[in-house]
Amino acid sequence: MLTREDLAKYPFLRKASSFIEGYGLTLRDLAAPEYSGIVRRAVERVRDSIEGRRIVTDWKDPETEILAYPLALAFAYGLKAGWVIRRFATAESKRCYELLKMEDGQRLIEVAEDGFGWRLEQNDVNVEGRRFDFALGVTEYLEVAPQFHSANWKLVNRYLLRGRVHLKQSEVARLLSESVKNKIVKRAAAEEVRRFEVPEAFGLYLEEVRRLVEKKGRFYDEEAPVGLVEEAKPPCIMAIISDLAAGKSLSHMARFTITTFMINVGENVDNVLKLFRSVADFDEGKARYQIEHIAGRIGSRTKYAPPKCDVLRSFGLCVGVNALCERVRHPLQYYKIRAREIARGAVRARGGRKVA
Amino acid sequence: MHSIVVDEFRNYYSQLGSKDLEVTDLACRELAFLQFGEQMMIRHTRFLDEVSLRDHLIHKTPAHLYYSSAYYKEPQAPDMNRKGWLGADLVFDVDADHIPTTCKADHDRWRCLECGSEGAGFPPESCLSCGRKRIETTTWVCEKCLDVTKNEVLKLLDEYLIPDFGISLNDVEICFSGHRGYHLHVLTESLRGLASDGRREIADYVRGIGLDQRLHGFMVLNRNGPLIGPDIRDGGWRGRIARSIYAYISRCNVEDLRAVVGSGSAADTICRNKDRILGGITKSPPSWVGLRGVGIERLNRIAGASIKDILCNIDERVTLDTKRLIRYPNSLHGKSGLKASRITYNDLEKFDPLRDAVAFKDGEIKVYVREAPRVRIGNHEIGPLKNVEVVVPKALGIYLICKGAAEPRS
Repeated sequence: MLTREDLAKYPFLRKASSFIEGYGLTLRDLAAPEYSGIVRRAVERVRDSIEGRRIVTDWKDPETEILAYPLALAFAYGLKAGWVIRRFATAESKRCYELLKMEDGQRLIEVAEDGFGWRLEQNDVNVEGRRFDFALGVTEYLEVAPQFHSANWKLVNRYLLRGRVHLKQSEVARLLSESVKNKIVKRAAAEEVRRFEVPEAFGLYLEEVRRLVEKKGRFYDEEAPVGLVEEAKPPCIMAIISDLAAGKSLSHMARFTITTFMINVGENVDNVLKLFRSVADFDEGKARYQIEHIAGRIGSRTKYAPPKCDVLRSFGLCVGVNALCERVRHPLQYYKIRAREIARGAVRARGGRKVA
Repeated sequence: MHSIVVDEFRNYYSQLGSKDLEVTDLACRELAFLQFGEQMMIRHTRFLDEVSLRDHLIHKTPAHLYYSSAYYKEPQAPDMNRKGWLGADLVFDVDADHIPTTCKADHDRWRCLECGSEGAGFPPESCLSCGRKRIETTTWVCEKCLDVTKNEVLKLLDEYLIPDFGISLNDVEICFSGHRGYHLHVLTESLRGLASDGRREIADYVRGIGLDQRLHGFMVLNRNGPLIGPDIRDGGWRGRIARSIYAYISRCNVEDLRAVVGSGSAADTICRNKDRILGGITKSPPSWVGLRGVGIERLNRIAGASIKDILCNIDERVTLDTKRLIRYPNSLHGKSGLKASRITYNDLEKFDPLRDAVAFKDGEIKVYVREAPRVRIGNHEIGPLKNVEVVVPKALGIYLICKGAAEPRS
């Protein structure tokens, strides 16, 4: 049985939503003075997540904790900045992870079922001194695990039997908490969330947080740096470029990767075309058509993004990783981080020259 | 295309029962056609039932018919983003085109469109003379190629999908591709919503990509302690690795082993103590102590070499794609005239595509053959032939015409 304390710990549960519905309150109602404690707690959760502080569950007052969660979520969405939503989601995910690690087995199964509809089972498998206390359906596992990089999470390295993946408790906690994050981030794309505005009545409460968002926003803004920063390109892209320069013939996937990458970092079609000049089977008309297609200028008008690291690895285009590679899962993410570092002067570009 | 082929295709479709064209949720699938002699595919069509599809096939008679692995709200919408993706079957494509077999030297040829040089067998990635990549291939089907692909399908099912993924045979459809391989459709509902990155994990699993033997139980306890490892009776990759190493050590000779482990003395030690090592591996719980001196790195290399035969040779692009167009079951393949037959698991073992997927049973036809290797269709075998006129069973004649190697003579 999930108790009120459990709902305070895991307010993303379906049962928590029904609990809140029981109060019959609308968002606007919560702006009334008698609920100021709830609003303050909601603001605190958003602020802590923005500042990267750990959010601690306060279960002495479960009602406030449960009611504050959807309000905090509404504030996070209402601040209209992608990075605020991601920070909030990450903080929630970390908070849940710490708690889920400590739960007893039955409770974990109930949270998995009620929160995400997952078929989690208790298990008693012990190999080489490692205990796999749980087994999770492979479909559910694959909803989340591909987001993690380490070899340990690759399905091929798991103990998979009859459609069930064997897991340790901490691993189940990790998968569930990552799902909490995904759920929050994914919902931000929904039409009703994008149109949502925080009611005026909360204005005063949010003043401080808004100032904080503005201040930090300048730093976190995801704007790609203007102009191509040569030194910020990841090793895989550099390898393809040097193959091209050497006139080697490339696989379809390598061509697609280099083209999408260059287009996405703001390079124009003519410059991308130049890269392909030295290839033996170069056909300017065809190449231009394909590059323009990928850039979304012609055809379906979809602008394509380069494949992520996992895909590049599957196609043998990953050329071994450096320290930054280990932190990212997409070549564009690598580029953005490195370009920002170079722009701030945190990392000197190769040759010791600073690139503005 | 010669009208006789179109007429025969039309005849085939008019004799087909609408039940033969049944697929799960036809109304949610995009259908696509390629007409004889056309280059552009007709896409984004939808049929509400098998009867109207069959009518269309009789009236328009395409050379190729495809359906989407995906289910859509509006399969007929021309913009992919407006179709409303609802999910997709999990599909595996096993094709002889991707598997190098020795028989290809007997029946396949490639030609560089740039410099004109040519050769026999599996086509090189780039031309051997000029290094460019515009290569044209002429490929033929033979029993050996088809057997290799069939074994891949059986391996995929028996070794991976059934025991590891727990997939029920009731949810699996096996189809001959109509040319050089097989398609395996997994219809399990819980898998339908799987995104491409989840599907990649499944493809990597059966191809052994990213496999790290150390994560399957091999470890040395307490630095200088004993080597422990998985049990051959274990499921999943654990047991598979243990069984593969057992099989490899029991059949390998000292030269092969030396090449794999990169050390003569380690290879000698293993071969000298073969019986003791194999005995230890089969114990319950297993004892890997016999391989302790070899070192975990070298053991890893042995494991890598030993699993080669058990990996599945699939075209991973098909499995990753959540919107793939795939040949429609029981439709005819315009480049062979063979039927993309649906086969049950129990019939797969004895299924002979060159007999059982033949669509045209009776009659004879006179054809002029420009060039063909040895070819068998049904019980009739001819070739190699060059510039001759022959009278052959209709199925064989149509096959040669579809392959572009012959033309009909009255």
